[in-house]
Amino acid sequence: MANLLAQFQSIKSSCDRLVIAVEDVNDLWPNLKKEFEERFPFKSVFLNNKTRNPVPVDELPADFILTTDARLRSRFPQEQLLFWFREPYATIVLVTCEDLDEFKTILKPRLKLIVQNEEREWFIVFVSKAPAHNDQATKMAKKVYAKLEVDFSSKKRERCCKLDMHGPDSNFWEDLEAKIMECIRNTLDRRIQFYEEEIRKLSEQRFMPVWNFCNFFILKESLAFMFEIAHLHEDALREYDELELCYSETVNMAGRLRDFGGMERGDDQATLLDPGKKALTQIVQDDSFREFEFRQYLFACQAKLLFKLSRPFEVAARGYSFIISFSKALALHESTLPFCMREVWVITACLALIDATASHYKDGLAAPDMEKEFYRVQGELFTLCRTKFLRLAYLIGYGSSIERSPVNSASLSMLPWPKPTVWPSLPPDASTEVLAKEKMILQESPRPKHFGIQRKPLPLEPSVLLREANRRRATLSAGNLFELLDGRPNAIDGSVQMSPLPKVNAMSMSRTYSSPGNFDGSIDRPMRLAEIYVSSEHALQNTISDVNLWKSLSSVKEFEQKYLDLSKGAANNYHSSWWKRHGVVLDGEIAAVYLKHEKYDLAAKLYEKVCALYAGEGWENLLSEVLPNLAECQKILSDQAGYLSSCVRLLSLDKGLFLTKERQAFQSEVVRLAHSEMERPVPLDVSSLITFSGNPGPPLELCDGDPGILSVTVWSGFPDDITLESLSLTLTATNNTDEGSKQIKSSDATMLKPGRNTIILSLPPQKPGLYVLGVLTGQIGQLRFRSHSFSKGGPADTDDFMSYEKPTRPILKVSKPRSLVDLAAAVSSALLINEPQWVGIIVRPINYSLRGAVLHIDTGPGLRIEKHGIEIQKLATVSPNAANSDTPQSSEKDGSPVADEVKQLTLIDGRIELVEWASNITSVLWIPVRAISDELPKGTPAGAVVSQRQSVVDGLRTIALKLEFGVSHNQIFEKTIAVHFTDPFHVSTCVSDKCNDGTMLLQVILQSQVKASLTVYDAWLDLQDGFVHAGKGDGRPTSNFFPLIVSPKSKAGILFSICLGNTLVKDEIKELRPDSILNIRYGISGCRTLGAHSPVAEEPIAADDDSQRLTFRSALVLQQPVLNPCLAVGFLPLPSSGLRVGQLMTMKWRVERLKDLEENMASQNHDKVLYEVIANYENWMIAGRKRGYVALSTKQGSRVEITILCLPLVAGYVRPPQLGLPEVDEANISCNPPGPHLICFVQMV
Amino acid sequence: MIVCVAVVGHQNNPLYIQSFTEADDALKLHHIVHCSLDVVDERVNNPKKSGPTLNETFLGLLYPTENYKVYGYLTNTKVKFIMVTTDLDVRDADVRNFFRRFHAAYVDAVSNPFHVPGKKITSRTFAERVSTIVKSFGLNAAG
Repeated sequence: MANLLAQFQSIKSSCDRLVIAVEDVNDLWPNLKKEFEERFPFKSVFLNNKTRNPVPVDELPADFILTTDARLRSRFPQEQLLFWFREPYATIVLVTCEDLDEFKTILKPRLKLIVQNEEREWFIVFVSKAPAHNDQATKMAKKVYAKLEVDFSSKKRERCCKLDMHGPDSNFWEDLEAKIMECIRNTLDRRIQFYEEEIRKLSEQRFMPVWNFCNFFILKESLAFMFEIAHLHEDALREYDELELCYSETVNMAGRLRDFGGMERGDDQATLLDPGKKALTQIVQDDSFREFEFRQYLFACQAKLLFKLSRPFEVAARGYSFIISFSKALALHESTLPFCMREVWVITACLALIDATASHYKDGLAAPDMEKEFYRVQGELFTLCRTKFLRLAYLIGYGSSIERSPVNSASLSMLPWPKPTVWPSLPPDASTEVLAKEKMILQESPRPKHFGIQRKPLPLEPSVLLREANRRRATLSAGNLFELLDGRPNAIDGSVQMSPLPKVNAMSMSRTYSSPGNFDGSIDRPMRLAEIYVSSEHALQNTISDVNLWKSLSSVKEFEQKYLDLSKGAANNYHSSWWKRHGVVLDGEIAAVYLKHEKYDLAAKLYEKVCALYAGEGWENLLSEVLPNLAECQKILSDQAGYLSSCVRLLSLDKGLFLTKERQAFQSEVVRLAHSEMERPVPLDVSSLITFSGNPGPPLELCDGDPGILSVTVWSGFPDDITLESLSLTLTATNNTDEGSKQIKSSDATMLKPGRNTIILSLPPQKPGLYVLGVLTGQIGQLRFRSHSFSKGGPADTDDFMSYEKPTRPILKVSKPRSLVDLAAAVSSALLINEPQWVGIIVRPINYSLRGAVLHIDTGPGLRIEKHGIEIQKLATVSPNAANSDTPQSSEKDGSPVADEVKQLTLIDGRIELVEWASNITSVLWIPVRAISDELPKGTPAGAVVSQRQSVVDGLRTIALKLEFGVSHNQIFEKTIAVHFTDPFHVSTCVSDKCNDGTMLLQVILQSQVKASLTVYDAWLDLQDGFVHAGKGDGRPTSNFFPLIVSPKSKAGILFSICLGNTLVKDEIKELRPDSILNIRYGISGCRTLGAHSPVAEEPIAADDDSQRLTFRSALVLQQPVLNPCLAVGFLPLPSSGLRVGQLMTMKWRVERLKDLEENMASQNHDKVLYEVIANYENWMIAGRKRGYVALSTKQGSRVEITILCLPLVAGYVRPPQLGLPEVDEANISCNPPGPHLICFVQMV
Repeated sequence: MIVCVAVVGHQNNPLYIQSFTEADDALKLHHIVHCSLDVVDERVNNPKKSGPTLNETFLGLLYPTENYKVYGYLTNTKVKFIMVTTDLDVRDADVRNFFRRFHAAYVDAVSNPFHVPGKKITSRTFAERVSTIVKSFGLNAAG
């Protein structure tokens, strides 16, 4: 069998293309060979695969071999069958013939002989040598060819084709190719069938003792090889896959102990990509192959095919799992294999696979997700390689150069030590090396971490190497070991997850045993660590045949270079794959090497990536491992901003991750930098460290324009107190985004304690709206920090990296402008004019405190404030009783207790400060004022329509009020209050009776105009000229009637008896009065809360005191009787019809002197009268003199007519123009008609 | 033996991570759990690959390494459960069962009204329950 195998191998290596046999009957081939071979390779052909499905083949190379060639002749039939794949797939019979007879007699029998072998696929190429111009020859050739076709072609199959050597026949080549392909297809089908059948037969015997894997393998590989040369790579691959499956079954079959292999020199280098590395004949073992080599061989064949199929990514993926599974197989046989064979093999296999796949891989070869997968596998291969490489490095004492990072710890501490049967012993002449290693162990010191952080290093070893190595030395007893391990019982309980010995311990132990002259490698005593390193190194040197790999392990420097290469390779590939985290984490490992070699800028860049990854997802434990390294780099690089930021991030990590001492170190770094070293202010985000929130509860409510005080809780994550030079907060309006945010500042330096702090900020007036806290900014030295994160009344949740998104609670509510206070007059009814009266002003705060409010009072003209104190009292709740009560006493009784609390205030420069208690309740301010009016009130004739309006307007006074209030008197409320003053009475008169003796009874009607009861004590009338009192003479009514009480709004009447007469003597002419004066002494009793009341007295006076009585004077105009007037004005009647709008009309008055003008009354114009036409110009258009003098004789009876042209403007009843005589007293004029009258105008037609 | 279990939030933030090793090497397990999120991400982002298991919570073996195995489980709310075991011979059914119980414990823990969703789980009861589940997993596997 081995013989056959060797033959098979040689055949395989010599044959790599399909063979097409050429039967050159007429020596044509030398001429045609070139042209034929130009057809190769066949393009875009179809072949059938094992399942008879056509498979496109892009290129199919083949060889033409003459049947007379030695390669085809020297074969034995038995071989032919087994190695059928190398036999020709088609036979081309080249013939030519120019004569029909020749054909029949010579050629045909010969051809028949050639084609009788049914096994062959053949066809005949008839070559016509006839020149194109020779018709004869051409015709003959045609005839011969026709004959040939008849004889050899059948209906089923065309087996002839014709080549005109001198004629144009382009179809020939296509025909030829088709025919060749047909033959190849048929042959292939048949051979596949044959192999299939053979394989099936052999497979059936698989569980029989006669089963021989080698035979099976030859058959199977023959088939695979046939597919391969037919470029049916897919099918070839399938065959190898099946072969692998079958082999693994065979290997795993129990009961047969086989040699694993891998013991030869050079076996440590993986051959998984090189099928021809070792001849198969060398690895035959009984009826099968050695696993170590054969599995690699199979994989190599598969890989070769996959590369041919342009699927390097599949090679990588399959390769990775192959390495893993093969590594397991190596582990099973580890005891027999050389020391660390497994690790070395994996390293070389990974590197080989990486190189091969990467060189075959071109970007864009595969779909994007496939590509990512490819890079991931590459990364995995690098990582695997890296891990094994680290393990080897550790074994020979480079452990201290390996970063004790989580990555390395994860991959190494769970990776078991190599398990040789016996740990390699120390070579005899290694004393100097041991010394060197000892020295190295002594010199190594863990690199101190920045900030003095001390952490227990993560383990890189699954268990203590010292123990493991010594345990594997056969002669050591457990007792020795016990002593060795310093009597720690748990060290030998065999647990894999045992805590590693601290490095220091191991070192001290090795020193204990360090005695010169004891380096003889005795196995009687335990090995020391240095010895283990040396022995491992020697053993590895024997194992490793790869020069480059050994070089990488030869020194720490080389090791680090290789380590860096592998880490970079892994990281870069991971970066191109889905596995970003793996990549970034490995970047951290690269950074650690850079840091060690003081390439700080490179290290910082990589560390930043790692930190960003961990911080982004909140893996603080891992972050706390790398962040100090980043900080160290930044510090050395003088990247102050970065360094500060790192310190702050360190501070904001979970408190449990660092000791207080370490956290204090972070803070002191921040403070030191902030205060000393920085030249320019550096901005820094401390959101994770300093957080803030408004106080719990409802937001602070302020009225528009008010300043306020905002209390904010700030949480400091610093471990110690920290002083902030300044602190400010922005407020953001929630309703108004375009406004931006406003900053409020804490004026002075703030000391933040660790944990919760309450900061008070003064708040300037804000616009109305709802405000939330925005950003906290502040300054520590040159450090400008800002924080965006809010805390919900507790410390910042450091694990919550989404804290920015927290909904924020409004902290401040500034309400829209509204009335905050109202000022109103307390009393709407009139007060007494010319008397000091209390004016009540109701000050009503509307949900707003009036603390410290100042009221400015400015009285208008005709009003002045009395000197008395101003009083303030709470506004009595208005109950029905109080409203009805008339007397002040009752109102005082009914009033609430506060009503008693009347406080005196002083008016200074027109301003009063309101009292404290009045700040939140409605109060009344009583101001003593006096309205001044010089005019004497006039009485009116009874019954006359007198408009009250004039008197109301006369009595109106205003008080301008301005209230300044609010926290800083920022709020101002201004209002002008109208106060109505009036006389106590309105007086009207009428002559109630006229006696024959000229005595008249003058009725004076007094109408009370105030809401207070008036008491009339006395009344007298000073009559005007022309009237005298009848009877007694002083004109007082009977005093018995007094006091007369007049209720509010009621009337009272007094009768005076007067008569006409001139009592005046000549001397008194000067004192002539035109009016009569009514004098009334009265008293008033009223409540100031209702209206008029007794005048404000400077000192309290008894109610019945005489001095409290007031005097009211009113002028009365008494009209002299009709005969007495000197002048009469008569309105001359108008025409009874035809009064139309728009029609000119003449209006006439007649003025007649009724008696002689008396001398004493005379003035210059005795004979003239001034007249005036008074008309409503809306109704009338007047033409002519409206005012002027007319001559009128002083004689009695003289008369004159005044005529005016008028044009009425409106229809209906209108008052006609009136004629007045301004220079004559009303009392001396008698009018006809006496009162106002109306004229009717019709609408103009 | 289960050496580490972890609950990872939907933003890949650790919610709960507990190692069950005696040695002081939790950090390396943090690393393993963190890196295994790559695999979870890959499966979630590549529905083509995960194929029929798309709707399944159990993600199966995430991480075949030589020395330990990482299993994953993904809830509907994209919370991940990760388990690291040094047992190289684990039955899938056992792991599924383990995750189901773990999930139940988690649901109970986060149903606590005082638990803030998305925050680390600090419940001691949860820790005890998880530790019980972890211990019983060891027993099942042994038996």
